[in-house]
Amino acid sequence: MVAQFERGTHTGKGHSMNERGQIDPRNENLPLARWLQEVMAASAPPENENNEFHPYFYQQLPDFIMALLEQQPRATLHFAPLLYHLIGCTACHSAYLDLYSAMRAALQPDEVQLNIGQRTGSWEATPVRMVVQLCQSFIRQAEALYRQSRRDHTNESIQARFLLQQALRISARMTQSNMRTRALHDLVRIASLFDDFGEPMQQGPAVHSYSPVLAGGSHGRAMRRAETIMRPTANPSAQDAIYLQSNLLEGRIMQQGDTLELFLQDLDKTLHGHYLTISVPLGSLIEPIRWVGGNPRTIHSIAPVDEHGMLNTPLGRTELRLGNPEERNLLEATFLLLEVRTIA
Amino acid sequence: MPFTAHDLRYHIEQSFPVLYAYLQQRARRYLGPLKFDAFEMDLVVEHVIEQLVRLGILGSGDHVPENALDRLSPAQFYAFLNHSIRNKSIDRLRKHRLPVSTFAELEAPADAESEDDPLNDVIEPIWGVPFATPEEAALEAASREELRTLLKHCIEALRAAPHQLQAVLQELEDLGASELLADIRKVLAQSNPLESDPLEHASQHKDHAHKKLRYCLQKGSTNLAVMVALRLTQYGEHLTSSKEVVVDLHTLTQNDLSEREVKTGLKQLAAEDLLDWHGEEVVRLTDAQKKRLERFYMDE
Repeated sequence: MVAQFERGTHTGKGHSMNERGQIDPRNENLPLARWLQEVMAASAPPENENNEFHPYFYQQLPDFIMALLEQQPRATLHFAPLLYHLIGCTACHSAYLDLYSAMRAALQPDEVQLNIGQRTGSWEATPVRMVVQLCQSFIRQAEALYRQSRRDHTNESIQARFLLQQALRISARMTQSNMRTRALHDLVRIASLFDDFGEPMQQGPAVHSYSPVLAGGSHGRAMRRAETIMRPTANPSAQDAIYLQSNLLEGRIMQQGDTLELFLQDLDKTLHGHYLTISVPLGSLIEPIRWVGGNPRTIHSIAPVDEHGMLNTPLGRTELRLGNPEERNLLEATFLLLEVRTIA
Repeated sequence: MPFTAHDLRYHIEQSFPVLYAYLQQRARRYLGPLKFDAFEMDLVVEHVIEQLVRLGILGSGDHVPENALDRLSPAQFYAFLNHSIRNKSIDRLRKHRLPVSTFAELEAPADAESEDDPLNDVIEPIWGVPFATPEEAALEAASREELRTLLKHCIEALRAAPHQLQAVLQELEDLGASELLADIRKVLAQSNPLESDPLEHASQHKDHAHKKLRYCLQKGSTNLAVMVALRLTQYGEHLTSSKEVVVDLHTLTQNDLSEREVKTGLKQLAAEDLLDWHGEEVVRLTDAQKKRLERFYMDE
């Protein structure tokens, strides 16, 4: 560490430098700097979170770098909290170096001669895996905002909600449902971190937790699984319903006009004759569904489970159509998790 | 169809495919022998996409304030993306320990876009980057007067927890930071006598103190308080009639702080009992308050 300190070329007040431009180690600034690094380094993330970054500081980097590149005299003073942060955060410091290099190059006059006129691109030509990554980036960013809000006692839920909506909207473009599932991996967990998304109630554990069965893929296991639950008696085409599964239990969401209806079957005997509460944790993330009762976390069934273990109850109304592939995908993502509880 | 930072921010559905096509094309150019490796191609492109999301440039709308990247010209923004891809590509080539000459040879010598040759700056001078290491940033913070003032402010704020303050002062003494220590002792001696008894559980107090210091040093309102305090000592005018010092908000902005920032700083100073201010357009300081600010914040 001493060697690294000695590479500094700072010439500010309080420094004395030797003939080779090194900081005189007798100066008190050097031990003070080491001590500062020790103090600030404790803010480094634990090893299992080594990719953690800090949105609040990260997003100040371009302005800080621009101030440095323009040699604004008060740059470090203005961005002092960021500078202190960079002492202890390797992820943000590494991003700083990366951005500094790219921004410095961008400002050089000979660098602006790139041909920017002919750029084409389409969603069809964009690899699905890249779209998956984009969605995952939004979700990770929302998680980073959650950590920031916990650390700084701020409320980042509006921005996080927007990011998760972006992930939902973008994922709806993908036709392969297994890729959509990958794109939205962790969405439910992250959305649940932000309490005010769904006004969570003090709810007991779910009796059953349903998730969509992959139905949109054209290849592989996902489609085969989807095909296995197409019952001859029901005879719906794959596009007319969202099929759900909870371990060995099955269910589906169908649409009658504007109304989304939930059908559950084979519910165990202990639930027969009971009214149920249905919870859709992602239900408040997108606007276009008007949920029965107003709260997607507490949708009460309009009838009890019948003697055959079946339940049929409306969930809400929407202009989105299951018959429209993109809108269907959006609806399917909304039902990534559907929980069922008995009414206390 | 060219895109801009504005397009990426507000119209991601239209601009993302174009962004991807551009990044992919640049990655193919810079990855040299790795350009046929789909994993490496994705890795490089994904890195830049992730960075744009983190910066709030990609798909954030109005939820993230605009920054310097939003204000680049379209050509500069393309150059920024181009260099971001190039830097990551070089990073990947180095990780694979590919000799530099290998990918240099693969670049067509008469390439019309010779600026794309990664050899041009493959060995980028890190010494040209301020704060190239965390150590340099720490040294700046320790040696620049204004930044040290922020540190002093945060150490002084520990006075509410005397044992923690004592633990930090002991650390400063041990590491020989006599100038800073003397400054702090001078100010603290005015308000509360310092403990001189040996400290029990020093390590625990030190840990708590460090945590508070980290929080304080990274807090924007603390920094604004220090900046405004410095300006109050510089620009205050004495009123002979009332023995007060007055300075209006506009004077404190000095063209580089917004009125909102000045108010945040004043609010913080008021919360720390360093002045009486309740949102007035003119800040009034008693002589004693000004002296106290000068003792602590005056830019020497």
